[in-house]
Amino acid sequence: MIILNKRHEKENEYKKINDRDFLDRKFFDGAILNLAQWVEIKKEFKNKKVKIGIEFSSNECSSSNESSMSEISLIQIKFETFKDGRPFTFARNLRKKYGYKGEIRATGHILPDQYIFLIRCGFDSVEIAESDKDIWIEFLNMDNGLYYQP
Amino acid sequence: MYKYSEKDKSIIESRTKQFKNQVQRRLNGQLSEEEFKPLRLMNGLYLQLHAYMLRVAIPYGELSSSQLRKLAFIAEKFDRGYGHFTTRQNIQFNWPKLPDVPDILHELSKVEMHAIQTSGNCIRNISSDHLAGITIDEIEDPRPWCEIIRQWSTFHPEFSFLPRKFKIAVIGSKKDRAAMLVHDIGLRLIKKDKEIGFEVFVGGGQGRTPIIAKKIKNFLQKKDLLNYLEAILNTYNQEGRRDNIYKARIKILVKELGIEKFKLLVDENFKKLSDKNLEIDKVSIDKIFSFFTLPELKPNSHKVQIHKNKEYNEWVTQNTLSHKVSGYSIVHISLKSANHPPGDISSQQMMALSKISEDFSFSEIRVTHEQNLILPHVENKNIYKLWIELKKLSLATPNIGLISDTICCPGMDYCALATARSIPISQKISNHFKSFSDQKILGDLKIKISGCINACGHHHVGNIGILGLDRNGQEFYQITLGGSAKEDASIGEIVGPSFPESKLIDAINTILNTYKKNKKKKTEDFLSVFRRVGIKEFKKDLYDNT
Ligand code: SF4
Repeated sequence: MIILNKRHEKENEYKKINDRDFLDRKFFDGAILNLAQWVEIKKEFKNKKVKIGIEFSSNECSSSNESSMSEISLIQIKFETFKDGRPFTFARNLRKKYGYKGEIRATGHILPDQYIFLIRCGFDSVEIAESDKDIWIEFLNMDNGLYYQP
Repeated sequence: MYKYSEKDKSIIESRTKQFKNQVQRRLNGQLSEEEFKPLRLMNGLYLQLHAYMLRVAIPYGELSSSQLRKLAFIAEKFDRGYGHFTTRQNIQFNWPKLPDVPDILHELSKVEMHAIQTSGNCIRNISSDHLAGITIDEIEDPRPWCEIIRQWSTFHPEFSFLPRKFKIAVIGSKKDRAAMLVHDIGLRLIKKDKEIGFEVFVGGGQGRTPIIAKKIKNFLQKKDLLNYLEAILNTYNQEGRRDNIYKARIKILVKELGIEKFKLLVDENFKKLSDKNLEIDKVSIDKIFSFFTLPELKPNSHKVQIHKNKEYNEWVTQNTLSHKVSGYSIVHISLKSANHPPGDISSQQMMALSKISEDFSFSEIRVTHEQNLILPHVENKNIYKLWIELKKLSLATPNIGLISDTICCPGMDYCALATARSIPISQKISNHFKSFSDQKILGDLKIKISGCINACGHHHVGNIGILGLDRNGQEFYQITLGGSAKEDASIGEIVGPSFPESKLIDAINTILNTYKKNKKKKTEDFLSVFRRVGIKEFKKDLYDNT
């Protein structure tokens, strides 16, 4: 898998934390926690100086899970199916309602046909198979920048 | 009529290219059918019982003569020589081949047409009053607002993967001729203290849970329209159910939360998410309105000619209305002759009609949600000539609003979801109630027929609704009474056990006799009688002696 940021491949600085490290509270730089883990340690985390990410499944993209997440540097959203449109609204709300400035990344079942929509809703990057890179970029190149919405 | 800007053109072109790429990937196996499905649906391409079906958008039902000519050409070249107008003012082609679809879309784009968002879980083509801009009872023309919403909703990055399809209707009069109250969002232009704005309704719909929309806002300022729509859609996209396709429409969310709670969520989103850039200023409103002016009509005192010909006179009484400009009429063309499926039209008819619209109606044609067509501006002095032309094409059936003007879905003849046939039922009714004078005695009466519980034939809101069911492999028809899709919208009540096809016409006759017997004066229509005497009377006559 590779990380594509617009047209450019970039290094993946994040990795999911394993249960052992989580239990030991070893939060390395670039650790990705799932939502349940994050909820569990939220309070004690406040002062830590490490860069962490949270992964939301598309099922978890409801308004009740929206909040200010300024201390998080990556929000990764895993699409259970590309047909689930909740992450589009979730990402947009994080940006608009909560002013979230960190990276928002899409992973899971996503299609290149959705690339422009993802970016326009506030996603920065996608995690995709290396062999799909060309087609994702091709879809981005089809974008002529003309939209009906601001 | 609206004309595409350069921006509209390039957006449609790039979409056509994108779809070509998607078809290619499907054909060479890079996309699975499951992945291709939502992509093709967003381009109006369905997989039906026998073949693909392509649904082409006719925004708010307006067609130019060149667009109709193009539809005729497509029907001839890529289909089996006909098209089918739907209850949402669109047209469907029932037999296109997948590899041809990109070419069809390319042909359509040449006349500023497309199939974008005519299906799939996104915001569908916006529908409206077929008399918009030409009737006196209007507060403001709704079409420019439909166009504003069409643009905003096209390829909306956030709302292209909703829990379910989403339908919006806009009307500009008190009278509802667009079934606005059974839409996901219904907008009605109203005037309050000299300011025109919108009354907003939400959560209406048909299908297996028919619901009349609830009012969510008494008065919405024009400038806030798009921000308010975004607030509703944002709420729905996040909170709408995705676990069960039958519970995924916004009507279920509104029902489960209650309109008050739903309104709170929407208001909060409206407050927090409203974007200055989405506010519509007067200049852009005026610009859109400038497309929707009347052609150069010359007011005059000509009345519609009376004629010795009885058939002509019947047609004039039933199929024409006065235009807001004196000396002109609005002419309905019925697509409900006894021999054709409701809404069907052949390519020859389309071709000829395109020419007729040029000769008689400033090259304009409209599609109604009742699956008929309209020539919007015909000079009174030409009405007889026009009738002769329409008659030659078998397009002069005088039955608008009468019992044989049924709404009907494709049913088992085409639709993969059907549980029974619906077209043959509508034809049986048309044949049985052929005589104009018999139909006239029955007055305004809407029969609506669906081939399954999805209710594409709007049976819930038919004065008489007919729903086709499957009972151990045999077709049965359930009858509902008292539905209405107008401003006094209501959902029909089931009258009792369903009937096999062989008994259906008799049952309808019994229902009509109950109506006739209870009618207090000549002009009292079916719905008024039903509402006055209630379902009991009808039940008694239908079931008591059997
Ligand atoms: S009502 Fe049922 S049978 Fe008729 S078109 Fe809709 S899905 Fe098909």
